[in-house]
Amino acid sequence: MKKFLNAALPVFILIIFVVVMQSGSFLKRPIGDEEDISRSIFALMEEVQNENWDGAQKRAEKLNETWAKIVKRIQFSSERDEIHSFYAALARLNGAIMAEDKSAALMELNEAYNHYNRLAQ
Amino acid sequence: MNEGLVVIVRSIIGFFSLLIFTRIIGKEQISQLTFFDYVLGITIGSIAATASTDLSSRAWPHWVSLLTWAALGYIMEVITLKWRSAAKYFEGQPAIIIYNGKILEKTLKNERYRISDILSLLRNQGIFDINQVNFAIIESNGRLSVMKKPEYQPLTPKDMNIQVQDNGLNTILIYDGILIENNLNELKKDRKWLMEQLNKQGVYDISEVFLAYVAPSGSFYIDKYSDHVDCPDEFV
Repeated sequence: MKKFLNAALPVFILIIFVVVMQSGSFLKRPIGDEEDISRSIFALMEEVQNENWDGAQKRAEKLNETWAKIVKRIQFSSERDEIHSFYAALARLNGAIMAEDKSAALMELNEAYNHYNRLAQ
Repeated sequence: MNEGLVVIVRSIIGFFSLLIFTRIIGKEQISQLTFFDYVLGITIGSIAATASTDLSSRAWPHWVSLLTWAALGYIMEVITLKWRSAAKYFEGQPAIIIYNGKILEKTLKNERYRISDILSLLRNQGIFDINQVNFAIIESNGRLSVMKKPEYQPLTPKDMNIQVQDNGLNTILIYDGILIENNLNELKKDRKWLMEQLNKQGVYDISEVFLAYVAPSGSFYIDKYSDHVDCPDEFV
């Protein structure tokens, strides 16, 4: 039994490490409807396309909140630069919405979507 | 993103991965390491350190690299254990550098040693005159093994036909104030006997004793917590 435990414990620990390091790809998936970053981005794109800036503002705030939740889960398995790039894209998006600049907002949304897809890959 | 927390988690992963991998790779002592083992250790340590602190990349590729290096190290170890010729090829083999008091310059050059290195290694072994050396061998871990000429070998009891007592191991009875009952039973002694021995030295409680053992010759050694030894603070 002791011999088995001596061999099994390191294997178990290594498996936990692998799970933690690879957890990003499944932890970034939405747990509820409100945590779906991809859907939020597409919904925001629609608001921007329709130039509904009040709606876009609300959705952008919601996207920021959702991202704050997601980032806590994926920070152990993602690159810092990708996370920071997503933050930067969100900040620029907020600016574009405030300026009611449709093309800039769409560019930032596409960039944010691209960063999100690359996270923990 | 909490960078401090991420570094802590990554460091835990790196620390325990390193611990597990090094245990798997082998139990060689530092003194037995070849130059390659030494470099391998540094590389694996460096990868683990990068995995802990380099947040610009994910921990996973670093960990895979760590695993690969450790696995290759393990495979090399198995190969060198199983095939002697592979061990000679990968780890090198011992080379005679001094024979019958004469330095073998060609070997010295091949092994990339300076004569000053050899003299220093000899001095480390208490040999100041090369004339005393029968064989000096550079081992694959870089250490120098020396066999002195018979006339310079130390005299042993066997040379003098002197009967000597077999040296055994001390049996520790009290360690850090705690009685080791198993060792007392092995000596076929009881607590009463032990207390008598302690009383003789002015000790009336086991917890006062830091270390107590019985030597193979039967002598009883005791060290108390409060020895009150006057030790000089400064040395000239």
